[in-house]
Amino acid sequence: MNNMQMKPLSGKELDYIADSLSNENMLIKLYATARSVSANAQISQVIDQHLQVHEQHTHQMIEMLKQHQQMAPTQSH
Amino acid sequence: MMNQQQNQSQGQQMMNESDYLNVILSDLKRTVREYTTATTESACPVVRRMFTDLTNSTLRLQGELFQVMEQNKMYTAPSPAPRQMIDKEIQTAQQDHQQAHQMSQQHGMQSGAFYHQNNVSNHTSNVQNPYT
Repeated sequence: MNNMQMKPLSGKELDYIADSLSNENMLIKLYATARSVSANAQISQVIDQHLQVHEQHTHQMIEMLKQHQQMAPTQSH
Repeated sequence: MMNQQQNQSQGQQMMNESDYLNVILSDLKRTVREYTTATTESACPVVRRMFTDLTNSTLRLQGELFQVMEQNKMYTAPSPAPRQMIDKEIQTAQQDHQQAHQMSQQHGMQSGAFYHQNNVSNHTSNVQNPYT
């Protein structure tokens, strides 16, 4: 799909982004807890790498919200 | 004796490394499903692309975590399917596919608008690490 024209965010899309942000936050907390009890170097390394990816996921979604901010209609009632 | 009992009861209350990783693995599976649903429900192409990327990225994390857990004996791999069952499955699949194929060809000839065309590209090897 080359023609990636941006459309205003639907309510449904906003809900999915909100749910996904909450999932990512929960995963970050779970990984951090696992990291604190981990005694295995290999696993600790994987946890650190994964934590970074989840941070990126969160940033990606926040950026997406910002991109759509200007296109969103302002409430009229 | 007293200490031992205390340690034991503490050990029962606390989750260990393996428990946490199992919880994370389940949560990654659930998150992948939600990203997939979000992808199919997206109307904006840019949002759809983002959810597609997030699905793939989370699938990679889930696969990687599974591999590490399996290597560290934190996950019992399911037992292999017997050869006989696979043989049977291949036979059924081939028969069913033949039927579906014939049907698609018949319909194509009736309407004249469609004729069968291979819509699946040649199968590439999947023996590389699927989690990268």
